[in-house]
Amino acid sequence: MKIFQQSTEFDYSWEEVSISNWRKYGPWNESCKHVIAVDTLSRTVDPSTGILRTERLITCKQTAPKWVLSLLGGQDTSLVYETSYVDASQRSVTLCSMNLTWSDLLNVRETCIYSPSSSNPAGKTKFQQRAEITALCGGWAKIRNKLEEVTVERFQQNAAKGREGFETVLEMSRRAFQEQKSPILREAKI
Amino acid sequence: MSASLAPECNQVKERYDNCFLKWYSEKFLRGAATTDECDPLFKQYEKCLSKVLNDRGIDKMVKEAREDNRENDAEHLKPKR
Repeated sequence: MKIFQQSTEFDYSWEEVSISNWRKYGPWNESCKHVIAVDTLSRTVDPSTGILRTERLITCKQTAPKWVLSLLGGQDTSLVYETSYVDASQRSVTLCSMNLTWSDLLNVRETCIYSPSSSNPAGKTKFQQRAEITALCGGWAKIRNKLEEVTVERFQQNAAKGREGFETVLEMSRRAFQEQKSPILREAKI
Repeated sequence: MSASLAPECNQVKERYDNCFLKWYSEKFLRGAATTDECDPLFKQYEKCLSKVLNDRGIDKMVKEAREDNRENDAEHLKPKR
């Protein structure tokens, strides 16, 4: 098993980040073109805790190296199952994901948490990401190890891109919100 | 918002997503969510999507993942107060 983890901060309030999180893979994000569809499978508010639980299915276009794709059967899209938990009273968003495709060869489990920054809880948001990657192809230790390495590398590349893309979404959301709030500003722009 | 994996569901998905985002930002985050007024739209979207998930055998994969995810549910749905 290999572990990828990182943590970073966004200069936006937790409320803004938690709203934009639902738009993360939309048309505003030029950096996550590998995500081609995001579908909601279920959504409920837990009656006892008030926590919003959402199940989503994320469809990705594969950009893995050719040898990995051939090992994994040559499919060019993959599916990820994500459950998220939003606790508005505690101001936390937790996202848990696992791969649906190739799950007999590779097990990827990711947890991401958005919470208010301890240095500036009203204006900044902390993002923590941790992924556990386990290759399961029996016997072939070398291939298993290489497959895990390639997956961790992909996480590293996507983490940088993900941050850049999400920054754009946050900026666009803030702008859209301000324009909505201020008709004078909106008219001036037209 | 993002597209659906089933292009024929895109329109109804967009209507639902817009409804949800408004409800989330204006009601849920402010602690004023009593009912989910987007539910009728979700039902339409779900009806469209479930057919495709079924046809492509994705529903079975989701079912297994849901079982695997029980630990996360137990951990993250427990009261933190």
